[in-house]
Amino acid sequence: MLKITNLTVAYGQNIAVQDISLEVIPGEILALIGPNGAGKTTLVRAVSGLVSPQSGQITVDDQAIADIPSGERARMLSVVPQARHMGGAFTVEQAVMMGRTAHMGWLGRECQDDRDAVKLALEQTNLKDFAHRSISKLSGGEQQRVLLARALAQSTPVLMLDEPTNHLDLQHQTSLLSLVRQLAQEKQLTVMMALHDLNLVSFVADQVALIVNGLLQCVGTPPEVLSSENISQAYQIPVDIVSHPRTGSPIIFPQGIVKERD
Amino acid sequence: MDAISKIVFTPAPIPACSPASSPMLRNRPFIFNILLLLAALIFSIALGAVYIPPGKILKILADQLPWVALEPDWPNSSVAIIMAVRLPHTVLIAMTGAALASSGAAYQGLFRNPLADPYLIGVASGAGLGAVVAMVLNWPTELGGYYLIPIAAFIGAILTVLIVYNLARVNGLVPLTTLILAGVAVGAFTSAITSYLMLTSDDQIYRAIAFLLGGSPMAGWNPVLAALPYMLVGMGLLSISGHSLNVLQFGEDEARQMGLNVDRAKIYIIITASLTTAVAVAFSGVIGFIGLIVPHIVRIIWGPDYKRLVPISIFLGASSLLVADMLARILLAPTTLPVGIVTALAGAPFFLWILRRAKREVFW
Repeated sequence: MLKITNLTVAYGQNIAVQDISLEVIPGEILALIGPNGAGKTTLVRAVSGLVSPQSGQITVDDQAIADIPSGERARMLSVVPQARHMGGAFTVEQAVMMGRTAHMGWLGRECQDDRDAVKLALEQTNLKDFAHRSISKLSGGEQQRVLLARALAQSTPVLMLDEPTNHLDLQHQTSLLSLVRQLAQEKQLTVMMALHDLNLVSFVADQVALIVNGLLQCVGTPPEVLSSENISQAYQIPVDIVSHPRTGSPIIFPQGIVKERD
Repeated sequence: MDAISKIVFTPAPIPACSPASSPMLRNRPFIFNILLLLAALIFSIALGAVYIPPGKILKILADQLPWVALEPDWPNSSVAIIMAVRLPHTVLIAMTGAALASSGAAYQGLFRNPLADPYLIGVASGAGLGAVVAMVLNWPTELGGYYLIPIAAFIGAILTVLIVYNLARVNGLVPLTTLILAGVAVGAFTSAITSYLMLTSDDQIYRAIAFLLGGSPMAGWNPVLAALPYMLVGMGLLSISGHSLNVLQFGEDEARQMGLNVDRAKIYIIITASLTTAVAVAFSGVIGFIGLIVPHIVRIIWGPDYKRLVPISIFLGASSLLVADMLARILLAPTTLPVGIVTALAGAPFFLWILRRAKREVFW
């Protein structure tokens, strides 16, 4: 279980997130939403130990992550970074194997456990046929799957994703998120992800946390949080919310781009 | 939920892999490179004013072993030439090439920058300054004095790399332009101090140092013996840093999230690479571009995995500098060119080629 208690993070004088408390249980996905610069990425960075909080606590299974060394932390908690172009001529298999760093010694010698974990991660992300291809020659969606596979190979109970669907097309967005959904249920992973696309939120998340200006506005199930009132206020733009005809989940249309016809 | 979980990835067809042109070259990097190095070593000993055939060299060398006694069918002068001149020279050149290439590979990985080279980033100049300070204060006359020079060079190298790194860093990254600019500026500054120190020293030392810094390695066994322990430690430690270098290629943040102790890894690599560079500079002077070219060739042929890249660079670096040194001895024979001139002649165009490639991000 991932538990964030009264977390405040500041970069110098600028407070990035303030007094945030959240809880995610195994098998559950928490989506962080909010405008650009709201503090979603900072939250992910703080939980993964890249920035130390000014105050508050982050615990995984009641162990404070601030107290444990980076190697051990990486066995509890893995991160899928934001989609971006990756250079380097490593093969997919080599890149995913590096997710095993926390389980290896200084020399990076692979043992059977490492090879098994990599094989499983490549299977789960459907990358087996890509194993010996160079990552720099993959498409954006494929590269993002490599980053997911690398995090899965890390074999941690907590998985965090920082806007994993940026720059991905519709098919790759949905297939990546459905895979995360499936793994969260099957392997009882505790998942926290920052998401940009509000309409993907109700497909993937059990809980949604809306963050604006570093403050937690509300947290709850997607229908609770994704109200036109909440979203309009957070994004400073009027929105219409309709129900998905089949699933009933909320779909958000910014009013500015909906053409008026009369 | 059901609808989207049915969407599956359909992998694009994989292009058929073209068979490696030379399986021995590609699949057996260490065997290939050891054979190449042995050939380079033998020919480096063979070449000179008096040509000594490789067969003779092997016999003479074997005869030096305490438990081997061969019937001599060679002139005594050949033994003297090999043992007093060519063998120590060849060993020093090989060690220097190995050191510059492996530390170049490590700097490239550490800075995630294809143009990092001990010479271009100013570390070699810093090591040169350290070495010259030691030599001006106390010109080595016996082995004990030689051991001190690499330590002074190491201090110069580590100070330079820290200054250049901090000058060049922008938002946690070390971009190509700032790295080279900071390297050139700091290199020019340390070279100026070095020149000043040389000018104020006495004539004999001035000439010796000028010769060395011009890229002409020291002669005799003393520099070889003094360099050997530092080289073994430095390159041994560099060879096992490959995994850290690999993980660092994803950037420091991701490396941390993957569980690498990033600060420890960086300090380890800076110290070992600077030590290795410093020893090479202390006894062989400033020889540019080997640390740039060799890791690139290794990367192109054998891939980017630093676990192999660093050790292969050690072997290929040794052979490459031996070849450059043979050219330096042959091109204007009987005059011997400083080997640094040959590496610069070959390396500068190569540097420009990489610069153009780096823009297109083929390898990085």
